[in-house]
Amino acid sequence: MIPTGIVTTITFLYFVLLFSVAYYADQRRKSDRSLISNPNIYALSLAVYCSSWTFYGSVGRAATSGLDFIAIYVGPTLIAFAWWFLLRKMVRISKEQNIVTIADFISSRYGKSVFLGAVVTIFAIIGITPYIALQLKAIAHTYNLIALSPPSAVDDYALQFPTFIDTALFAAIILGVFGVLFGARNLDATDRHEGLVAAVAFESLVKLVAFLSVGIFVTYGIFDGFGDIFSRFLERFPERADLLLLNTEKVPYSTWFTLTFVSMMAFMFLPRQFHIMVIENSQEDHIKSAMWQFPTYLFLINLFVIPIALGGLLLFGGDNSAADYFVISIPLQANHPWLALFVFIGGFSAAAGMVMISSVSLATMILNHLVMPIILRIPSLASKNLSRTLINIKRSAIMAVVLIGYIYYKIIGDSYALVNIGLISFIAATQFAPAMIGGIYWRQSTRFGASTGMIAGFTVWFYTLLIPAFCRSNWLPNDIIDHGLFGITLLKPLELFGLSGFDMWTHSLFWTLFFNLGCYLTISLLSTPSATEREQVHKFVDVFSTRVPQIERKRFNKAPSLLEFVELMTKFIGEKQAHAAISEYLGDRDIDEKGSVSENELLTLKSFAERTLAGSVGAAPARIIIDNYLVTRGSTMEDVFDIFGSVTLSRTSSREQLSVLYESARAVSGGDNLNEILDNILHILRQQFKFDLCTIRLLDEERSLLTVIAQDGMSTAHFDNADRDLTMNNYVGATFLTNKETVINDVELMKRSQFIGIIQREGIKSFAHMPITIEGQPIGVLSVFSKSVKGIFTPEFIELFHSLAVQIGIAKRNADQTEHLIAAREQRKELQIAKTIQLGLLPLKAPDIAGIDLAGICVPARQVGGDYYDILPTDRDTIDLVIADVSGHNVGAALIMAETRTFIHSKINENYPLSVMLNQLNEFFHDDLSRAELFVTMFYLRYTLGRRTLTYTNAGHNKPLLWRKATEECEYLDTEGMILGIKRNVIFEEHQTVMQPGDILLLYTDGIVEAENSQGDFFGIERLSALLNEHHTLQAQQMIDTIMQQVRLFTGLHSFVDDISLLIMKVTD
Amino acid sequence: MKRINKEQLRDAWILFFILGIIMLNYPFLEIFNKTVQVMGIPLLVAYFFIGWPISILVIFFFSRSLTTKGDKKEKDPLESL
Repeated sequence: MIPTGIVTTITFLYFVLLFSVAYYADQRRKSDRSLISNPNIYALSLAVYCSSWTFYGSVGRAATSGLDFIAIYVGPTLIAFAWWFLLRKMVRISKEQNIVTIADFISSRYGKSVFLGAVVTIFAIIGITPYIALQLKAIAHTYNLIALSPPSAVDDYALQFPTFIDTALFAAIILGVFGVLFGARNLDATDRHEGLVAAVAFESLVKLVAFLSVGIFVTYGIFDGFGDIFSRFLERFPERADLLLLNTEKVPYSTWFTLTFVSMMAFMFLPRQFHIMVIENSQEDHIKSAMWQFPTYLFLINLFVIPIALGGLLLFGGDNSAADYFVISIPLQANHPWLALFVFIGGFSAAAGMVMISSVSLATMILNHLVMPIILRIPSLASKNLSRTLINIKRSAIMAVVLIGYIYYKIIGDSYALVNIGLISFIAATQFAPAMIGGIYWRQSTRFGASTGMIAGFTVWFYTLLIPAFCRSNWLPNDIIDHGLFGITLLKPLELFGLSGFDMWTHSLFWTLFFNLGCYLTISLLSTPSATEREQVHKFVDVFSTRVPQIERKRFNKAPSLLEFVELMTKFIGEKQAHAAISEYLGDRDIDEKGSVSENELLTLKSFAERTLAGSVGAAPARIIIDNYLVTRGSTMEDVFDIFGSVTLSRTSSREQLSVLYESARAVSGGDNLNEILDNILHILRQQFKFDLCTIRLLDEERSLLTVIAQDGMSTAHFDNADRDLTMNNYVGATFLTNKETVINDVELMKRSQFIGIIQREGIKSFAHMPITIEGQPIGVLSVFSKSVKGIFTPEFIELFHSLAVQIGIAKRNADQTEHLIAAREQRKELQIAKTIQLGLLPLKAPDIAGIDLAGICVPARQVGGDYYDILPTDRDTIDLVIADVSGHNVGAALIMAETRTFIHSKINENYPLSVMLNQLNEFFHDDLSRAELFVTMFYLRYTLGRRTLTYTNAGHNKPLLWRKATEECEYLDTEGMILGIKRNVIFEEHQTVMQPGDILLLYTDGIVEAENSQGDFFGIERLSALLNEHHTLQAQQMIDTIMQQVRLFTGLHSFVDDISLLIMKVTD
Repeated sequence: MKRINKEQLRDAWILFFILGIIMLNYPFLEIFNKTVQVMGIPLLVAYFFIGWPISILVIFFFSRSLTTKGDKKEKDPLESL
């Protein structure tokens, strides 16, 4: 036995050593030379699995029931095969989602459910606190074993405490303080607790060395090796040979299987294991070496369990009542108190590690899933800075967890309930397994399924394990075990629904998993996950696949600023932490701290803030904090209207876009009526995207107005003032003038407010205008309005919107062109008619008159022309010849020509002198011609057949040629006279000449003499007279044909630029 | 050591995991569950304490062939099961 004072002092010094290790590790962390970021330390820290329950209990189990203790270690060895899939996935998810506890993991997976987080926390507390009590009991008991006997020895230098402070309380307080110092330094739980982990790893090393020491001491010090122990044991206790076998009364194969399975699950899902394996993992790669290092640790610590157990039985005469403490009592018995003290320190380490990690982990859960949800519902706390309060709550929670463990120990003490609590805890942890494993591999699993399964599992767990434990401890009547609850046999807690023949563990495991898994699977299949859940499923199940960054389909109205987010975070995690977080965030981003943030950036910022908070307070509270905050400041997240269906935007948008564009393109090409096309496009647009109003305005150039030419969904009230001025004062005008789209995702944020009244009256929430262009030039504006959603206009939509506007432009251009074509065709048809009529106005055929040979031609340059000639035989043996040229070649000229003809025809028999005739014509036409800005040149002749006299008068026309046979030369006929239609009261001269047989008179218009060849030379009067001279023998018609042919040869063209008319009269007799 | 491709490796993992569970359970254990001694050590105890290091050795060799290179693109090993 060792004096109390020495044990106390050594224990205290060991504490100091642990503190130093932890402190050193924290310092190393601060200087960025992490001590624990090391695969060996990681593997060692996992050995927090070996609590005092296994440190002492293994030997006890080996001595009493046999080999089943191995199952507790074989399970984790087997599950180590699955670490590379299972554990690594859990680590990856937790790192990405800033997950801090197993409750957080489950709640986060199932849609950040507050309820589920609370459920897991409560069950964890119920399952784990007694386990903490067990550790405290082990510490107290072993302390008493080595120190208190004999109590009187050297008490004088031992510290004196009041009697109510016993060893367990002392240990509890110190462990609690340790947890507070190294586990709750600050609120950021994702920040690893390196000091804590270093201490745990150190403790693992100590407990291994301690256990190996006592093992070697027993095996080789007291006995002569393994063989010696086994043979002596079998010799002395042959009846206990079944301790070395399985399938015995105490350890049937079913129990073996149950223990293997349960230890696998417990190893993965006990809160402290989750914490040390997942949260404190610094690199995924460490898992790789831990996969074999940790099983090796388990192997080593178990190597001497059987020798110690059997040796103890041999040494203590087969008494196994205190077998749990053989590891201490054997060295004491063998008078090696220092070894016993070392083993005590080892056992203390085992207990301390478990208590520290469990308390920190449970406290985090309590804070995040029980306290936070309540705090967040107290409005008066909303404005306060909570970071101090929260960290203090967490610290208190750590102390509370340890002290509840202590109280549990005090009340229950040595009862049955405590002895078996290790396995009871294991089966409790197994209840998390379906929700955890299903959560990371099964997409269909839902929150409802998970919570129902877990609640069912825990209820059965409580009934089949805790109730019997309470009964055996006499807190509840034993009747419940023997006859079932309320005397119903089927409800016997150890033979539930009549299932008998199994040990309590197998029985409980079967029923808990039956209900847990059953509810989880069935209800998951029957329920549908919410949107948040679906989002989380993706983050959990697909954590290893390359994920397309999700395009957020939500947006803020009244967006908060960056600073507001920082303030919010400060409130919960403290200023320093918040600033550190935000500067890290801003590090690789292009936003200045005060500057505004784009809408997309805001969403990233929001999820960043949420994740940062989740690192401190858990995912579910973080979500509530952010949501509450946004609600308080009046901003809400709105669904961005999902334009392209619920399928992923990036992958299929182009197909959807194409379909819309295809529809509208079909409308453009299919319709022949612009209005119909535009109506169709607007209809497609409105129907596809559920807009409330779509309009197309085109520019009315005359009025400088953008007028609505097509609309879908416009109210009559709006219709009357729907046109917009072409100014920058309204969005439509500005869109047109800048030739750039206007997108207002939220009308509350818009600047130009001239039409705010209309927008409010119509209840419009968002709208967009897109210029309609033809070859880049704006011709109008396409607009869409939504009364139901904001933030509808994503870049994808704008792109599509632009394409639609282009198509409308094309439709408009097509329509314009078609219109032109039709007009031209109409005109051509009309001109054809005019041409026919005009040609009909000319003499169809020169009259056959004895003594003269007449021929004429008129070739208009276009359909109709302004040339006119006429041959008018009168009743007085005379014949009038007229040639005239109305300026221009258009319909106007043709009309004047017709009018001239009518006038002349009506006057022809009046027998006016020529000059009077022209004068009358001038008077008659003057107004018409000057109004039409036209004029007419005319040459008028009258030939008297018998006397062959030719009287003529000229109104500014080209001088006709008179070829004299006698001289074989051309004369020019001319008189004074002015062009018709220039001024009134013109006096026209009248001359007379006599023609001889063979003389040829040639009348022409300027088209012939001004016919131009490619060198720019005119055909000219000389050529004409030369031709006349040359071909004077020909008949009049042949002469005309020859002249026309020559003119054509001269110009090289078949058609003429100007109208051409010729009239030839040849005197024959 | 022969270069093992990823798929084989994954299948081998599953195989060994299942094999481990089989070898450490009824009825396999029944083979060794006899009151026979091997060099003074009961057969079942010897089986456990020899089989256990062997399984650790298996994990050791497999963990060596694991690669975390190109980790980001790596598929979840169980995904394609």
